[in-house]
Amino acid sequence: MMLPKYNVLTQEQVEIIHNESIKILEEVGMEFDYEPALEVLKAQGQKVEGHRVHFTREFIEAKVKLAPSQFTLHARNPEHNLVCGGDSIIYMPGYGAPFIQLADGTRRKSTMQDFDNFVKLTGVSKNMHMTGGTMAEPQDIPDEIRHLKMIYSSIKNSDKCFMGSTEGWERAEDSIEMVSLLFGGKDVIKEKPVLISLINSLTPLKYDERMLGALMAYAEAGQAVVIASLVMAGSTGPAALVGTLALQNSEVLAGIALAQCINPGTPVVYGSASALSDMRTGGLSIGSPECALFISASAQIARFYGIPSRAGGGLTDAKIVDAQAGYESMMTLMAASLTGINFVLHAAGILQYFMAISYEKFMMDDEMAGMLLHYMKGFNFDEDGLAFDTIAKVGPGGHFLAQKHTRKNHKKEFRTPQLSDRSAYEAWSKEGLDTNQKAHKQWQAVLADYVPPALDPSIDNKLLEFIAQRSEK
Amino acid sequence: MNELFLKLKQAIIDGDEEIVGELSQKAIDEAINPVDAVQLGLIKGIEVVGELWKSGEVFLPDVMMSAEAMKVGLGLLEPEIAKLGMSQGEAKAKIVLGTVEGDIHDIGKNITGAMFTAAGYKVYDVGTNIKAEDFVLKAQEVGADIIGASALLTTTMCSQKKIIDYLIEHNLRDRFKVFVGGGPTSRAYADEIGADGWAESADEAVALADSMFAEK
Repeated sequence: MMLPKYNVLTQEQVEIIHNESIKILEEVGMEFDYEPALEVLKAQGQKVEGHRVHFTREFIEAKVKLAPSQFTLHARNPEHNLVCGGDSIIYMPGYGAPFIQLADGTRRKSTMQDFDNFVKLTGVSKNMHMTGGTMAEPQDIPDEIRHLKMIYSSIKNSDKCFMGSTEGWERAEDSIEMVSLLFGGKDVIKEKPVLISLINSLTPLKYDERMLGALMAYAEAGQAVVIASLVMAGSTGPAALVGTLALQNSEVLAGIALAQCINPGTPVVYGSASALSDMRTGGLSIGSPECALFISASAQIARFYGIPSRAGGGLTDAKIVDAQAGYESMMTLMAASLTGINFVLHAAGILQYFMAISYEKFMMDDEMAGMLLHYMKGFNFDEDGLAFDTIAKVGPGGHFLAQKHTRKNHKKEFRTPQLSDRSAYEAWSKEGLDTNQKAHKQWQAVLADYVPPALDPSIDNKLLEFIAQRSEK
Repeated sequence: MNELFLKLKQAIIDGDEEIVGELSQKAIDEAINPVDAVQLGLIKGIEVVGELWKSGEVFLPDVMMSAEAMKVGLGLLEPEIAKLGMSQGEAKAKIVLGTVEGDIHDIGKNITGAMFTAAGYKVYDVGTNIKAEDFVLKAQEVGADIIGASALLTTTMCSQKKIIDYLIEHNLRDRFKVFVGGGPTSRAYADEIGADGWAESADEAVALADSMFAEK
C-alpha cells in the first residue's frame, strides 16, 4: 500500500486560492503575445483588448473540467509506458541547464555529448522513469537544429518516454513529426500520446509567442503538455506565499483553458516551479522551505481541479555536490513525493538554481529518488509483514539472522543503497571517498557498460533523413 | 535651504517617490539651485542606500524603491537644469541597459539598473527585445560610456555578440564599453565574443564599472 499523500492546506484555503485566481483573471487579465491564441480566446467569447485577455469564471471553470484526471504516456518500449495522474509518480532529470558542474569543482558549457550521456544514465536508472527534455543544453550544436538532435538522441539512446521542444510552433511540429515516424503516424500518436512538453508562462501574467505556438501545436496533435508557472516570490510575484500561489494558479489555469479550447480533452499537467527571489540580490532561490511549501500546495491545488501535477525535484542553490546540495534537494524532492506531485521534473542533477547539471549530483539524486520510492511504499501488513511465527520461533534472547524468513523477506522490505556508504570506518577509509568522488566513479562505470536498446534500422534511417532534410533549411 | 536637501536625501533613503516629487517641485518653485538639489539631496541619499545595501542593512526592495524615487526627482530637476543652461555635474558614467533581441526576461536587467543608479551612474533603460542597432543608437544619442546587454536564454546569447559586431561594423567599437550578463553567460563566453565586461550579479557589474570609470 502506498502511503497516503499529505495536505498542507484546508479545503477552504484551496478554495480561497482558486477564487483569488479567478479574480486576477477577471479583473487584471493576462497578456498573450500570439495572434492565433488571441483569436481562439476571442472566438470563445473572452474579452480581448490588444494582447490583454480578461477571462470569465464560467469559461475557466468549464474548460479546466475538460482536462483528463490521468492519462498514459507511451514509450517505444511499452514496459516503460507511464501513467500520469492519480497516485503515480514520475521522476525525471533536470531540464535546461546551460552549464555542467564537474566533480573537480570547475564548470563548463554543456554539449551534445553531455545530453547523450544523461539519456543513457537515465535509461539505465531504476528510479528515473523517463529521460526528460533538455537535460543539458547542447551548446556546441547550432540553435536551429538542437531540438532535432536532442529528440534523436532521446529515441536512439533509450526506450523510455521523453519530452518535445517548446521553442515555438515550428520546433514543436518537428518534434511531432519525429515521434510520428517512430510510432507510425500522427493518427496513432493522437490516440496514444507519446510526447509531453514543458510550456512556461512569463510571470507575471503573460505567455510569449514561443510557448503559445508550441502549446497550440501539441494540443492540436493530442500530445500532453505541462503548463507551468515559475513565480519568483518577491520579484516577479508578491512577497507573500498565498498571493504567489494565486498568481501562479491564474497563469496555469489560463494556459490549461487555452489548451482545452484547441482540443478538448488535451492531456495537461498542472505545473509549478515557483520559488523565491533572494531579497538581497534578487537571485532565484529554489532550495528553500518556501519552495517546498509551493510544491506541496501545488499538489493539492491540482488535486482540487482533478488534474495531474508537476512541481519540485532535487532542487538546490548549492554550487557543488556538498551537504547543502544534499539537504536542500532531499527537502524539495521529499515534499514533491509525499504531497502527491505526479510529474517530478528536475528530480536529478540540478545544482545552482537550475543553472547547472552535474553527473555526480545526478547519481546522488538518483539514490534519493530510490530512497523515496521505497519510503512511499509504506508498510506491509500481510503474514510476512507481521512475522509472528518467526518472532515465536526465535523467542527470548535469540537472533533472527539465520531464519528463512529473514533471508527471504529482507529482499522485499529492505532497500539496498546504490551510493550511500554503510561500511565500517576502517573499511571506508581504504579509499576514503566522499559522495562526490564516489558518484564520479559510479556514473563513469555505468556509461562504460551501457548498451543502447535496439532501434529498427528502417525507422532510424527515416529519422536521420528527416533531420538531414530539416537541417538543410 | 540646507534643510530641504536633507529632507530630499532622507526621502530617497526612505524610497518615498511622493515626497521626493513634492520636495523637488518645492525646490523648483522656490528657485533653489537644481544642481545642488540633485548633488546635495538626491545623490547623497542614494549613496547612503548603496552603502547600507553593501553592509547588509537594507535589502533589494529598499534599493529598488530608492532608485525609483531617484528617477522621479531627476525627472523634475533635470529639465530645470537644462532650462537654466546649467551643467548637472557629472555622473560617474552613463549606461544604456537592455535585454537583447528575442529575449523578454527583464528582472535581472531591472535589478542591475537600480544598482547602477544607487551607485551614482546615469542609467538609460531601453527595455526588452532590443535590437543591436537600437542599443547603439540610444548609446550615441545620450553619449553613453557603457552598453549593458542582458540575456537569459542560451538561444538569445548570440544577440549580445550582435551588438559587438554592429559596433565593429560601424567603426564604433572604441566608443563604448560593452557589458554582458544573464544566467547562461560566463566570463569565458564574454571573452569569446569580445565583450569588455561580464559580471554574474548586479553588484559585481557595478564594481566592474567602478574599476573602469570611478577615477574619471
